[in-house]
Amino acid sequence: MSTPIVEIRNLSKNFKGRQAVDDLSFSIHPGDVYGFLGQNGAGKSTTMRMLLGLIFPDAGQIFINGEEFGNNRRYLLKHIGAIIERPDMYGYLSGRDNLRIMAALTRERIPDSRIYDVLEQVGLRGREKDKVKTYSQGMKQRLGIAIALVHQPDLLILDEPTNGLDPQGIAEMRQLILSLSRDHGKTVLVSSHLLHEIEQVATRMLVLHKGKKIAEGPVTELINPDDMLVDVVTRASAEERVRSSVWGEILVASAGNTMTFKMNAARVPELNKWLVEQGVAVMEIRSKHSLEDYFIAITQ
Amino acid sequence: MRRLVSVFVILLLPFLAPAMEAEQLYYALRTKVLSVKDYTADVKVTLDVNYMKIPPLEGKLYYKVPDKIRMVRKDGISILPKKNMSLSLGNLIPAGKVSVLDAGTATLQGKTLRVLKVIPEDDKSGIILSKIWIDEANLLALHTETTTQNDGTINMDLTFGKYIKQSLPDKVTITMDIKEYKLPKGITMDYSEVPTTAGPKKPQGDSKGNIIINYSNYVVNKGVDDKVFEEK
Amino acid sequence: MMKLLQIELYKIFRRPRTYISFGVVTAIAFIFQLAMKAGGREFFEFGMQDVTDTFNVQGSIINGYLVGYLILQSLLVQIPLLVALVAGDTLAGEANLGTLRLLLTRPISRPQLVLIKFLASSVYTILLILWLAVVALFLSLLLFGTGDMINLKSETFVLLLKDDVMWRYGCAFLFAVVAMTAIAALSLFLSAFADNSIGPIIATMAIVVVLTILSNLELPLFNAIRPYLFTSHMIGWKGFFDDPIPYAAIGKSAMVLVLYILGLVGGTIFYFNKKDISS
Repeated sequence: MSTPIVEIRNLSKNFKGRQAVDDLSFSIHPGDVYGFLGQNGAGKSTTMRMLLGLIFPDAGQIFINGEEFGNNRRYLLKHIGAIIERPDMYGYLSGRDNLRIMAALTRERIPDSRIYDVLEQVGLRGREKDKVKTYSQGMKQRLGIAIALVHQPDLLILDEPTNGLDPQGIAEMRQLILSLSRDHGKTVLVSSHLLHEIEQVATRMLVLHKGKKIAEGPVTELINPDDMLVDVVTRASAEERVRSSVWGEILVASAGNTMTFKMNAARVPELNKWLVEQGVAVMEIRSKHSLEDYFIAITQ
Repeated sequence: MRRLVSVFVILLLPFLAPAMEAEQLYYALRTKVLSVKDYTADVKVTLDVNYMKIPPLEGKLYYKVPDKIRMVRKDGISILPKKNMSLSLGNLIPAGKVSVLDAGTATLQGKTLRVLKVIPEDDKSGIILSKIWIDEANLLALHTETTTQNDGTINMDLTFGKYIKQSLPDKVTITMDIKEYKLPKGITMDYSEVPTTAGPKKPQGDSKGNIIINYSNYVVNKGVDDKVFEEK
Repeated sequence: MMKLLQIELYKIFRRPRTYISFGVVTAIAFIFQLAMKAGGREFFEFGMQDVTDTFNVQGSIINGYLVGYLILQSLLVQIPLLVALVAGDTLAGEANLGTLRLLLTRPISRPQLVLIKFLASSVYTILLILWLAVVALFLSLLLFGTGDMINLKSETFVLLLKDDVMWRYGCAFLFAVVAMTAIAALSLFLSAFADNSIGPIIATMAIVVVLTILSNLELPLFNAIRPYLFTSHMIGWKGFFDDPIPYAAIGKSAMVLVLYILGLVGGTIFYFNKKDISS
């Protein structure tokens, strides 16, 4: 296996008595799209900020390309591009000027042609001379990506890149991340509090809860199709009938007229058919993917 | 005719001395002083006043009888003692009817001088008593001591040289009472050497000040336009 | 370093807010000049009463040099605010905008960033003082002409000959740059602790106002601390209009101010270098 592009060993950070990150270790290898999953306050941003030298860890070590980060921060940051939380820029400057400033701060000679290439890549050509305060949230987010990309880093750190975007923006961002990984060979660390977002872009993922690592591994292994939580809402309670059947084995919860099954999504039509045959009036079936439910699932 | 008489008196004076009566001497001096109707001169004014920090001021002084006086400095500021107090000898020698008392002689600048006490009979001039030290031989006042109603005692020393023929001094030193000067620190926001308490305190309150005027390049009795004296 | 400074200055001078200061200075100077034109002589003669009781003061009293001095004196309180407006914003403003974390994920060191911010604030300060020279002095000279300059101190009446004034202004403005750079350093220091720029700007002003009052209070209690307050030294520029010029005191004041600058910038670097950026 290749040298990890990021290696975190026993990282901890405490904010005034609150353990934000607790003995966290993981590695990201070149070519990975590494998903960071966790609720707000789980420690995703804190970890990412520590990776960028914005926050200093209380304990633990960070290695980038095998080199200890603390001693080589300036050198190693040349290999990293990042968006942390909101894409905040100088609103009174144009998109192009923001990009030029951030490009100049990489201390490398970045030609204007590269500036325009990146603007093209994120779809901001034509609007580059407009002041950033006139940009939509999505445009700002794309400008943020342009800033992260302009110096052609190997590693991209994207903290909640879809925050505040409309559904189309979210889809575009997803495509962009996939293309950066697939077509440009970037290694990406992306965080989200939404499981399906991680699921759709990441190759590996890490689940953080209260600063602790709960699970880590390839997405395909962690998000087991058999672990889907399916809520079935019926007109009247059908719990007894279900309990007495084979379906009772996968019933994990029941409250009022709503039953929750842990099952493979492919079997949902079969369950529906059986219920109808039993004369149960099915009002609604929804499969849940939210992180909260995922936590319920993996902690049960 | 009057002028002729005065010139005559002046010419005769050395021969009459020292037998001249006090009153006679006084009027002779006054006539002589007032014979200068106007003059202009280049002056250098040095203000030796405890609260003032002013370099010597050079300018042109205009004078016209009886009491018009003005110093002009191009684009500059001139500072002179107030008119009603002094400055010109003409002002310090009471005009009008006076009583003159002989106060004997005194030695000053190495010369024996007649001392006169002059008391004006009206008080328009604001002068209560004027003591004048006179070089009788040259009919020049070398020192005056004038007690005024409002402005204390003003002393004047006159030094004659180049312009002795016109009875005009080269240098006049006026010694007078100076009122206290003070502005609140909150307004002036002084920068003071820190800490402010260091060093001896400057003398406060009223004090004496010297104003020294050096004259040169007199132009006498050639007429001075009144406009010169108008305050701009 | 030059490139980074250029960028910083570009950011400062592309912001409309930056020009507020220049506008404020212009407006205050202009209002003052109007007022002096209208009733300056009466106003000033009021202050000179003790002198005019005894002396006849004639000539161009209200001239450009005097008006310039009076404007500088009255701007004593405003200029620090205007300096704080930009210097207090340098770090805190970026934190507030959210751009600070963007900057710090670029390969520049934090001490470097602080130094750049300080240098940029200093350049702004210098330009502001230069502008002040233009509107407070040169515009006044244009409107009121030259002349001997009267400087009314609390216990002294100073008169400077007109050919002896300009160089003093030069020195005074140089000193003012040092003094205002100390304010910039103070604002920068406070800025490092805050995540919005209002805090450091107000804190700078509060410190300047309180210490100025302490510097001027004639109480024995404060005499001991007065030499250590930078506000006592900030008005050292006035020393150049005294006669004789208290060079030793001015030199000492400049030294104190430079020490403040070094201390505050050093303190900013020390603190900022360890600060967690969570904005």
